[in-house]
Amino acid sequence: MNGHITLNDSPQDINLPDFIVKWVDVGIFVVNKKMEVTLWNNFMCNHSGLGADAIVGKNLFECFPELPKAWLSKKILGVFLLKNFAFTSWEQRPYLFRFPHNRPITGGVDHMYQNCTFMPVKGAAGEVDSVCITLFDATDIGISQTALKKAMKSLSDSSNRDGLTGIYNRRYLELRLSAEFDRCRRYRDQFSFVLFDLDHFKRINDTYGHLAGDEVLRVVSSHINSLLRSVDVMGRYGGEEFGIILPATPMQSALILAERIRLAIEQAPVAYKGISIPVTVSIGIAEFEPDVPNYEHLIGCSDRALYHGKENGRNQVTCYTPELESKTASS
Amino acid sequence: MLIKSLPSTWDVEITQAVNGKEALDAYRAGKADVMFLDLTMPVMDGYEVLENIQKEGLNSFVIVVSADIQPLAQERVKKLGAMAFIKKPVNPDLIESALKQYGIAL
Amino acid sequence: MSAMQLTEDQRDAMQEITNIAMGQAGSLLAELLGNFVNLSVPRIKVLALAEVARAIRDMVGSDIDVTAVRQSFQGYLTGEALVIYGQNGCTELGDLMGYDEELDRSEETELLLDVSNVLVGACLGGIVDQIKNLTEAHGTAELGFSAPSVMAESVPADALINPDKLSWTHALLVEVNFTLEGRNFISHLCMLMPEHSIEKMCSILDRFVESY
Repeated sequence: MNGHITLNDSPQDINLPDFIVKWVDVGIFVVNKKMEVTLWNNFMCNHSGLGADAIVGKNLFECFPELPKAWLSKKILGVFLLKNFAFTSWEQRPYLFRFPHNRPITGGVDHMYQNCTFMPVKGAAGEVDSVCITLFDATDIGISQTALKKAMKSLSDSSNRDGLTGIYNRRYLELRLSAEFDRCRRYRDQFSFVLFDLDHFKRINDTYGHLAGDEVLRVVSSHINSLLRSVDVMGRYGGEEFGIILPATPMQSALILAERIRLAIEQAPVAYKGISIPVTVSIGIAEFEPDVPNYEHLIGCSDRALYHGKENGRNQVTCYTPELESKTASS
Repeated sequence: MLIKSLPSTWDVEITQAVNGKEALDAYRAGKADVMFLDLTMPVMDGYEVLENIQKEGLNSFVIVVSADIQPLAQERVKKLGAMAFIKKPVNPDLIESALKQYGIAL
Repeated sequence: MSAMQLTEDQRDAMQEITNIAMGQAGSLLAELLGNFVNLSVPRIKVLALAEVARAIRDMVGSDIDVTAVRQSFQGYLTGEALVIYGQNGCTELGDLMGYDEELDRSEETELLLDVSNVLVGACLGGIVDQIKNLTEAHGTAELGFSAPSVMAESVPADALINPDKLSWTHALLVEVNFTLEGRNFISHLCMLMPEHSIEKMCSILDRFVESY
């Protein structure tokens, strides 16, 4: 046997390392400094559709023009230069080669996720002659990780949402309000908080029934949500009361938006089982001031403004000013 | 390790310092005709030692021996008056030739 | 316990070896980022598990948030390397690499992993280059590396390693840090080796001292 490894029943000696490289279920290929491919194993053949005969000796980027050449050649040249391993992960870069994967039926993704390792191949003199790249199929990990992340997100999302309207709940709204309050205090930024309430909501419930009332809450909250910017945060504060955080927004701008909301709701009665239910809202606005002691105080200010609007005939927007305190007290 | 890399025929007395400040004190006290100076040191680094030597107008014969192989590091120490820069790990032949170049009898 | 401490000679030798390896890594980092890199004096210590959190706090400071990348190395020496970045490590890196546009999260992470990988590979490669002729393996002691991964993002430095979840008792810590001149950037490279690597390392260091 003189040191050779042979496989049973094999007519000739087989070079075991060659056999493994050829058949292992991992992509292996080697490029030299000119980016010419010098080795291309079966995994690479099968998934790319290009046999070793067709690609060995040719330039990698000429054979695969869709490869991200600027980035990949920099990565490979880095291994030549630094004589060091390099890596890519499917999490940041899903694939190197856009190969189909082996779960066409059950996968739900349209290509193979890949983890790659770039290894410097050193010659006798210690210089890097070529770079060997291994390519692991990470599709299964990718699919399960992505599903897990999605599930985690929807879990944390659902704990932040109000069951009836689907917008954020009070707990989450206060969390965000508290964070915005701290942020503005630290960076001397500004924001406004808007509190609004459906006028005579009890009367809607009594007249049309609770199911109609629920529908009104759903339609009005989603209508208002559609009028907001993506940075604004709206949540159900309680019953028929809602709050909106308007980051980087002074009172004057908040007033314009609030007036737009008031008008939109007034002009769009809610349709329920063939009945048109007219709805109006009263809105109170408070602006963040550096001397406001905490976010709860800010909610109190917007509530005072809202209450003032209710007293004055509803379906209107009121901005909080310190003068409201004395008026409220006297009324 | 550096001491063992010095030419064996060189008949000198060696004072060792564990940081830049000690080295500078020894230099000020006239204990050194030749200083082998590292750059990365606690308390006072090699750059500061060179600056002080330059500022105080001390007669300097400093060979910097450092693992910091950034070209800019070499440039800087030369500007600060270092006679030679020898990269770590130290090649004893380079030390000998640097010493000979500046006419030090071994 | 006493067997798990380095002698003064061993520590000096490790410091010298690390210093040289770090010089090589620092020079690569300087080239990569186009900025002069200041090197630190290597910190070499055998740590008991209970001292880990404190050691990390001593290195990076107590009340800052850090982002860390970890990478395993195996072969003649086995262990894990952590690269710990200060608060604005990511954004500073993007800036230095000359990315004009703001990087998205994936690109930012990829950059962080790449830079960490260069530092770990260069530093450990530099250490092994110097000691490989002193091992029983006689010149064939090369290291393999795992892919780097983000271990923690913006967490308090104290919370980086939780001793309650770990089972080792002693580890050899080799720490160096790189700061960029004129920049608010710092990265700490910590190489941690478990007990059996410490024993191997000690005998290598003894041979290193003898060889001079």
